[in-house]
Amino acid sequence: MRKKRWVPWVLVGPALLIIVLTTIYPLLAALYFSFHKYKLRSPPQFAIQIGDGGISIDWSLLTLDNYALAFNDSRFINSLQVTFWFTVISVALSVIIGLGIAVIVQKGGKLHTLTKVLLIFPFAVSPALKGYSWRFMLNENYGIYDLLIDSLVVKPINFLLSIVNALPFAEIPLVSESIVWLGDKFWALFMLAMSETWGWAPLIALMFVGALGSIDEQIFEAARIDGANRLQIFFRVTLPLLRPVILIVTMLKTIFSLKMFDQVVTMTGGGPVRATQTINYYIHQVGFVRGLDIGYASAQSYILVVILTVCAVLYVSLVLNRD
Amino acid sequence: MTAGTVIKSKASAWQRSAKLLETAALLLIIAFIMLPIVWLALTSVKSQEKAYTTDIIFTPTLDNFEIIFSDKSVIINEGTERERGEVGRNMFPNVINSVVVSGATILIAIPLATLAAYAFSRYQFLGNGVLLIWILTTQFIPAIVVAIPFFTLFRTVEVFGSSLLGTRLGLIIVNMSIVLPYAIWMIKGFVDALPGEIEEAAFVDGCNDFQILFYISLPLIRPGVLVASVFAFIMSWNEFLFALIIGREMRTMQVALMTTSGARGIMWEQMAAAGMVVMVPIFFLALFIRKNVVDGLTMGAVK
Repeated sequence: MRKKRWVPWVLVGPALLIIVLTTIYPLLAALYFSFHKYKLRSPPQFAIQIGDGGISIDWSLLTLDNYALAFNDSRFINSLQVTFWFTVISVALSVIIGLGIAVIVQKGGKLHTLTKVLLIFPFAVSPALKGYSWRFMLNENYGIYDLLIDSLVVKPINFLLSIVNALPFAEIPLVSESIVWLGDKFWALFMLAMSETWGWAPLIALMFVGALGSIDEQIFEAARIDGANRLQIFFRVTLPLLRPVILIVTMLKTIFSLKMFDQVVTMTGGGPVRATQTINYYIHQVGFVRGLDIGYASAQSYILVVILTVCAVLYVSLVLNRD
Repeated sequence: MTAGTVIKSKASAWQRSAKLLETAALLLIIAFIMLPIVWLALTSVKSQEKAYTTDIIFTPTLDNFEIIFSDKSVIINEGTERERGEVGRNMFPNVINSVVVSGATILIAIPLATLAAYAFSRYQFLGNGVLLIWILTTQFIPAIVVAIPFFTLFRTVEVFGSSLLGTRLGLIIVNMSIVLPYAIWMIKGFVDALPGEIEEAAFVDGCNDFQILFYISLPLIRPGVLVASVFAFIMSWNEFLFALIIGREMRTMQVALMTTSGARGIMWEQMAAAGMVVMVPIFFLALFIRKNVVDGLTMGAVK
């Protein structure tokens, strides 16, 4: 109806220009840096020179060394593994706990509604603060989580074990009461993933609450009339209907987990012994803390970009196929 | 008759215990969500000695807030084994930095996003669908990839005689990369929900495109623009990686949290107080946009 062709471009133009400058420019620049020897301490020699005689390219200055270095760098390989396990644990816990919360709070009384309102709170806590608060609560001397885990999990287990041990021939070692959560390689990574789960499971629950609300109530009613119990309804009706949303949410959370950075800095500092050095954290170390090696940091971040591109393509196709 | 009653009472006993189980599960969820927040709040009003215990009975004090907002040097536990001398770090400038950066970010991003969102919703133009999807995917670019080139660029570029590295302006520029795409998608959702008839009527009455936009549509989507502004404010307020790499000494509150770490470890009572300053304003904002957060985060992919 409205025909002026230039109008939308005038409206979109400024925003588009800024998005291009703040995303496409760095993507291209980082790619370009990644093929150079480029340390902050010594000014780099770039292959493309713009002089009086126009643009000249010195091909000999381009190098694949940074990429070769990455695949021979045991610390980089370690960061890939850490990121992989962090992603697996945090995505699985966030989606499963989120789904559980959603099913429980979805309908019902006042307590349900109150819980639904509270679900938004972890979103308001910044990731950096999240990391600090979990580090504080997991402290082995005065952490509230440490105390709770000891008194609610470890002590009862030990009590049961001691009863079993009272039997002749039974000698099961008791569970240690003095685990230093962030000092142990496995537990540090697990707790890092738990802090991420604390932030995301409630949000994912909200996503599922919305999706559950849009399912026709008559479908559940029909299942109930046919004699299905609650478990059967959940596994045979709810889960299959939620499948598209579960896939989208899982993919989205995977992408956010792969990009995780803030809590590593404030919660574990990458330790103990690099056990929680995610890719982003290691890139930050290489580029800005230790080596000040911009070329190498760029190459590493491009490897991350490739991984994320695959995820993004999957995500977009999931979203588009849903409609 | 008797058999029927027995079955009925069995069923209701089963229902009662299911109900009880559900209530227990809800309380567990509430505890899971609230414990870190409540614990931070408690610690922020504990005295320095109490902060290093799990006591929940203590005399509340506002000392920690006073310390983080004063220039005084503080010596904690003087003359004891745990003595720590600390130079007071007034966090007031950090609060200002956070407010200015987040505020300026939305002041620039939201008007641009609103215009773009309106165009994406109301016009068919070459490649608009592809452009929208492309904007969606920019959220998947890792922030570190944006930070590296802007770090090297800002080191050399000078504005008003000083390099952009470690300035609020530099931070505002890089924040655009995370805020604009979300804002466009969020506001587009609100424009999409607006029926087109009013605009058609205005067109028939002789309004041109811009008159329709500014006098008819914009006033109608004002609530949506407000929601997107709040969402964008929260995003840039909570942003950490750019603040660390680009903001440097021009610390926002997120980075200032790290300054509670002294020679002998983190002073948790001060960290908790600073954490409250970071967290509490955002609670109110988050409650205000509670119903829209999911749409915002997923850019409408989950409905």
